[in-house]
Amino acid sequence: MPDNANADGRKHPQGTGRTDVIVIGAGLSGLAAAGHAIRAGAKVRLIAMGWGQQKVAPGWISVCDRAEDDVIAEVRGHAVLHPEHPYGLAGADAMLQGLEQFRALAEEAGLFYDWRQKDGHNMRLMTALGAIQRPAMAPRAMAYGDLTDVSGPVLLVGFTGWRDFYPEMAVNNLRAQGFEARALWVTLPGVDQYWDPWPNELAQSFDNAAFYEAIARQVQPHARDAALVGFPAVLGQDNHNDTVQRMAEQIGRPVFEIPTLPPSMPGHRLSRRLTHWMLHQRARVQVGHPVVRARVENGRCLSVEVEALGHINTFYADEFILATGGLYNGGIKSDDAGRLWEPLFDLPLVTPPGEDRADWYHERLLFEHGHPIHRDTGVRVNPAMRPLNAAGEPVLENVAVIGQMLAGFNPLTDGCAEGIELATAYKAVQTALQLDTQETTR
Amino acid sequence: MSTTTVEVLVIGGGATGAAALYDLARRGVRALLVEQHDLSTGTSGRYHGLLHSGGRYVVSDPATAKECIDENRVLRRIAPFAIEDTGGLFVATPDDPADFVPKWVAGCAHAGIPIERLTAEQVRAAEPALTPRITAAYRIPDASCDSFDLIHAFVEAARHLGSDAWTYQRVTRLLVEGGAVVGAELEDTRTGAQRTVHAACVLNAAGPWAGVVAHQAGLDVQIKLNRGTMVAMNTRYIHTIVNRLRPPSDGDIFVPVGTVCVLGTTSIDTEDPADIHIELWEVSKMLAEAEPVIPGIREGRALRAWAGVRPLYVPPEDRGQEAANDHEVSRQFAVIDHAKRDNLRGLITVVGGKLTTCRLMAEHAVDVVLQQLGKTIPCTTADEPLPVEEPRRYHELPHRLHKLEHGERGGQLICECEIVSRPQLEAAIEAYGDQPVALDDLRRDLRLGMGPCQAGFCGYRAAGILQQQRGDPDGIGTRALADFVEERFRGVYPLLWGHQLRQFYLDELIYRRVLGLDALIQPLNAEEQADAG
Ligand SMILES: Cc1cc2nc3c(=O)[nH]c(=O)nc-3n(C[C@H](O)[C@H](O)[C@H](O)COP(=O)(O)OP(=O)(O)OC[C@H]3O[C@@H](n4cnc5c(N)ncnc54)[C@H](O)[C@@H]3O)c2cc1C
Repeated sequence: MPDNANADGRKHPQGTGRTDVIVIGAGLSGLAAAGHAIRAGAKVRLIAMGWGQQKVAPGWISVCDRAEDDVIAEVRGHAVLHPEHPYGLAGADAMLQGLEQFRALAEEAGLFYDWRQKDGHNMRLMTALGAIQRPAMAPRAMAYGDLTDVSGPVLLVGFTGWRDFYPEMAVNNLRAQGFEARALWVTLPGVDQYWDPWPNELAQSFDNAAFYEAIARQVQPHARDAALVGFPAVLGQDNHNDTVQRMAEQIGRPVFEIPTLPPSMPGHRLSRRLTHWMLHQRARVQVGHPVVRARVENGRCLSVEVEALGHINTFYADEFILATGGLYNGGIKSDDAGRLWEPLFDLPLVTPPGEDRADWYHERLLFEHGHPIHRDTGVRVNPAMRPLNAAGEPVLENVAVIGQMLAGFNPLTDGCAEGIELATAYKAVQTALQLDTQETTR
Repeated sequence: MSTTTVEVLVIGGGATGAAALYDLARRGVRALLVEQHDLSTGTSGRYHGLLHSGGRYVVSDPATAKECIDENRVLRRIAPFAIEDTGGLFVATPDDPADFVPKWVAGCAHAGIPIERLTAEQVRAAEPALTPRITAAYRIPDASCDSFDLIHAFVEAARHLGSDAWTYQRVTRLLVEGGAVVGAELEDTRTGAQRTVHAACVLNAAGPWAGVVAHQAGLDVQIKLNRGTMVAMNTRYIHTIVNRLRPPSDGDIFVPVGTVCVLGTTSIDTEDPADIHIELWEVSKMLAEAEPVIPGIREGRALRAWAGVRPLYVPPEDRGQEAANDHEVSRQFAVIDHAKRDNLRGLITVVGGKLTTCRLMAEHAVDVVLQQLGKTIPCTTADEPLPVEEPRRYHELPHRLHKLEHGERGGQLICECEIVSRPQLEAAIEAYGDQPVALDDLRRDLRLGMGPCQAGFCGYRAAGILQQQRGDPDGIGTRALADFVEERFRGVYPLLWGHQLRQFYLDELIYRRVLGLDALIQPLNAEEQADAG
């Protein structure tokens, strides 16, 4: 079959677009990579079958959750000790740059991310169960809920009849950890009790001033002694910044958001805003279309083929960034016989030790150290993020592999998922566009 | 210690025990059934779901084949609410031995099983998902049967007639006095409380545990325990039960049940009646066997896998003989009158058989029980339909969807996969009074968390509602959630590749990252370990 023909053997004349960079995947790493490249002046096309994990993740940025002091210093130490870890490969400077670039990018798109500027430590943010998580950076409305220096009770607000948030469980667990906390139930104005809104649907109601004001009025009398007032993360979709600010004003106390069951509003807002911004920058964004084939010659990727509306379109670029999200988002496939493969370039993979699937999982889901399948499966890359074979030689010279496609960390247990996504996205763009890495130290 | 006296004590809340309880009640004998867990949690709750036509056994075990077709007709008549008349197909592919087909056709004729030969076109029209490589196909009156519905109907009908059934009561000892079994000692498997039941006669219908129970009276009942694994795929694929037309072997029956298609089974000897573990090769084998018949099924999504233990009876004359393969060990059942066999009155054991033949097994066993009681009252269980107030089909998805669409729902949907509403959940929690309740109990009551997401979403919601309703300050919701998560994980552990692997990545992400459950249970686990140490 000739290279420019499709599965059915016929040629399709359309499909010519050429850009500097094609990013495949619309998770946090893909969006960040596309964003950096655009900000650096490159012509970018972003192609993805669907949205990435930001749509289900808590929304905050875990860089190195276990760090007790300065987060970047901890990453720096880790990178030195573990040169094969994604942080070792990308380097702590890429981590720092990646975070700052991401913050700037989000801000351009109209969303704010904060970190503890005064000491560079991790925050202490609560979950819907009242567990404390320790991300380095978070959407502003979540960062308001930092319990590090909290003095006084936290008031947690649930919505009667809404199935996705139960403040009592969080209150119990917060108290068990020495925090003061109380639960309050309020009613949602005009919500049909026979309709179960998803977080994103409820969030749209919170764009509306009459709606959130009615809630704030119910909360205000109970919030007098509260240090902070927490809500499930549904405070607005497009009007989020205003909603949070106005509610805090009306209640008279800082208002913060707590991650909900998926879909994740912080991730949803980010995806919407960034896409909007990219289109505005005249980048091409195609979410909802799978890349079905990559054309590779002599160790270079020439083009990718995208299926859309029953047609195959071919897109060309100088550089390709593979950010297809690993096992969860389809970047790596698995079958019942225990095979693992990367479907687009058939890249060499690191796989868990052992003969078959028996060694993929520990027998308890919440086993402290996580499952081998998630730590040990992925692509090995060099510090330029180029994929390597088993002998350690680069196999593609103009393809970078980033984010959860990489081996060597467990995104579910290691508390560094978003950090690695941002650091490797930054690094890949630096290499792809041959930008000079600014050395920064902190 | 409390003491109760009944005429007959039935041990075992599976299909056989439940049918016997009903049979006794219809013959005017008030009886008590005791079950160590919940009803239908033994082999009867872990079976393949097939109301056999007998076709599977016509060559290897003609007597069982005959019993199956007779009982198939009876159960269709008396328990239509538990049966979905899917019909069955036997199909041969070029890989199957061609000389088996005429033998099988003759066997069906001999057993009186009506079959109808189909052309390749007819098969394709009826079941387009089947491979076109079919060399012979026959229609046969197989059906799918919901054992849970059937067992509950037997027990409810018996209760109406004055009998009773106790769950979570394990027989720990049979009381033997003067050459007769006169009752049993029970232990509450949740609280440990003990009690005694006196009975004129005890019927041992403990399925794979029948040998263990008989041993409590010092008797030796030999049963061959044989474990089988089944895999449920997340759509039906087919609407007719499909059997491979070849000598019975691993993975050759595909049963559409509700919204899923169940592939099965394996056949592995075991020593332990509670051995329901699953090995990964069994799952792969089920898929590999299904693929040539239902092409593409291997890429589908496997939802759940479970195993059950067959209690096969080995008659004394067959002991020491090796069957050609375990699928060929007789499915015949036996009623052992221990008065005759062991000179011990007051105990009868019924073992072997199939779920399809449970009513017949009960009839024969109860005949012997009545003999011992000195009564002769004929069996009437085949005479009229089981009384059911409202068909309890709430665990059937289409039924619940229908209710929902016709406005019969109140409140929020907590489990969207299986359509469990908040009022249902609250009522179920309420029903436990101040007894401890696990989310897994609610799962069994309501099918909570049984769908594709395996409690990824409804687990947190149900825990929140439990916490609210119980108002317990000790974090009951958190602990209940942690237990439920692990319980659900055990069920899918053998199925984690492809789609289901991604599903559990999501579930793990929700529990660890969104909710932080792992951090909360770490101190609890450490406490437990310290207690245990
Ligand atoms: C893999 C597999 C697939 C099958 N598929 C089919 C099929 O498709 N069609 C079909 O007709 N048949 C099928 N069968 C056979 C059928 O499931 C069994 O023959 C039938 O369920 C046995 O029912 P039972 O009541 O005798 O045993 P069980 O259902 O096991 O009931 C015995 C009960 O006794 C209880 N018990 C045990 N000890 C004690 C004690 N000391 N005190 C109190 N209670 C006790 C147990 O907890 C258990 O609930 C299958 C079997 C297996 C294993």
